[in-house]
Amino acid sequence: MSQTTPASPHSMCPRCRSTTVVVHATSPVAHVWTVYGCTTCFYAWRSTEPEENTNPDRYPTVFKLAPADLAHFAVVPTIPPLRRT
Amino acid sequence: MTTSTAPTAPQPGAPAAPAAQTLGDFLGVLEQHGQLLRIHDQVSLEPDLAAAACALTQLGETSPAVLFDAIAGYHDARIVLNVHGSWPNQALALGMDRDASLRDLFFEFVRRYQQYPGEMERVASAPWQAVVVDQDVNLFALLPLFRLNLGDGGFYIDKASAVSRDLDDWDNDDVENVGIYRLQVKGPNRLGIQTVPQHDIAIHLAHAEARGQDLPVAIAVGNDPILTLVGAMPIQYDQLEYKMAAVLQGRPYRVVKTATGLDVPWGSEYVLEGRILAGRREPEGPFGEFPGFYSGGHEYPVIEIDRVSYRAHPVYEALYLGKPWTEIDYVQALTTCAPIYVQLKATFPEVVAVNALYTHGLVVIVSTRCRFGGFAKAVGLRVLSTTHGLGYAKIVIVVDADVDPFDLKQVMWSMSVKVNPAGDVMILPNLAENLLDPAGEPTGMAHKLIIDATTPLAPDQRGHYGEPLGIPTHTDQWRQRLGALIKELHG
Repeated sequence: MSQTTPASPHSMCPRCRSTTVVVHATSPVAHVWTVYGCTTCFYAWRSTEPEENTNPDRYPTVFKLAPADLAHFAVVPTIPPLRRT
Repeated sequence: MTTSTAPTAPQPGAPAAPAAQTLGDFLGVLEQHGQLLRIHDQVSLEPDLAAAACALTQLGETSPAVLFDAIAGYHDARIVLNVHGSWPNQALALGMDRDASLRDLFFEFVRRYQQYPGEMERVASAPWQAVVVDQDVNLFALLPLFRLNLGDGGFYIDKASAVSRDLDDWDNDDVENVGIYRLQVKGPNRLGIQTVPQHDIAIHLAHAEARGQDLPVAIAVGNDPILTLVGAMPIQYDQLEYKMAAVLQGRPYRVVKTATGLDVPWGSEYVLEGRILAGRREPEGPFGEFPGFYSGGHEYPVIEIDRVSYRAHPVYEALYLGKPWTEIDYVQALTTCAPIYVQLKATFPEVVAVNALYTHGLVVIVSTRCRFGGFAKAVGLRVLSTTHGLGYAKIVIVVDADVDPFDLKQVMWSMSVKVNPAGDVMILPNLAENLLDPAGEPTGMAHKLIIDATTPLAPDQRGHYGEPLGIPTHTDQWRQRLGALIKELHG
């Protein structure tokens, strides 16, 4: 595989490989897990999940997204025009 | 056994057995009937919870609910799964005998359903108001959220009832809506919500967005088992779910009004209050959905949560959703049959029963008396114009009145010998379909199929049926006698 895991775990979105990763939460019992989220594709994952969900190099190909793919998502429901009063 | 036609449940007119008013009460009922497992060993949020719940559904149709009380990373979180995930649990939710047959469940459910409307009772306060968080809301810390399936886009709240009102008709209780919609937790106080056009909340959202206003919502998590069934039920737009819950529970349904004016169940464990943002869509999904496939990603509406309230020591309720059958299929079972049956029977009193158990009623089996040739096809067509038929029913099988639609052996017998595709199969092109049906082409559209598996009647003189077989005299007596002996034999 030509792509490599970034030096710092959880700094790249496993799904879309963007580096727009934020920490959503840490476990109420300290140091058990951290929940990360990608602000580009809105994928979220927990540090203690299996590597298929946390490691960009192990994330299943069938579920991968490129940021450009997001533009093709259908808008549901459509947004109605503002009503004229 | 589905041979009995006499419901074991209370007869029409008899008071319904009192049903649990809170999730906690119902867990007590389940425990009393051997339908609750408690797991005290520490479990991981992933993959333990989804795996355990999936395994339960593989263990048959009588599986218990399971309550976990030691969750890695939380001090005192509790999670319950599979509360609705078996026929005994459904029967107990209705206050019926845990061994009631599916056919008996159906007839008792529709009997109560037809007593609509019941009464909504507003009270001043609720146990879920014990703890209020209205600053720095972080849903990941407050709720023990977890991933269900590998390809899910994140953690979902998948068994909560969302409450909304119509901004164009704010004081009309009957168009207030309570529905279960999948909610992706996308940030500490940010949710994505799936509101497909067939859903009532989509009407509220469309009206709010046309006004350029956010739509207030309250999301009730962890409810009495009847409310969850009603939230999954495709009742009519101007029918209020709380008034339906009241007739199913057999007593007025208790609610509390929030500061924004939404009625929330008195018995909930958690209540999340917020707004669907007007004119806003964001990537959401994929999510493993009820047809047994991932939904794909969409641009869906977004909710911001402003306040979370909860009981002291709440229980978080969720369901596992996977390749059918899983808990979702039980939640969408009787709740799908009843509205189709009632709407159909209003047009055709000849209809006997409706089995819409399969994949939220994408397949519907109707048994009916037929008055003349072609009658069954008319019944099948009417299924497609019921509220649920508009967006779901894709394959309709119509069988004779003496065929139990819940007994698939009888249905397959009808299909085997009463169908000649030359005259019994109708394909209707390009009708509205749920966008989660993977067979749709384009998404949200599909051809629909009606199979007439009834015996042709004049003037439809097709086939050579002659006399049908009956049963030997005294079979009913022998069935009772032998049934008792077999029970003894098995101890």
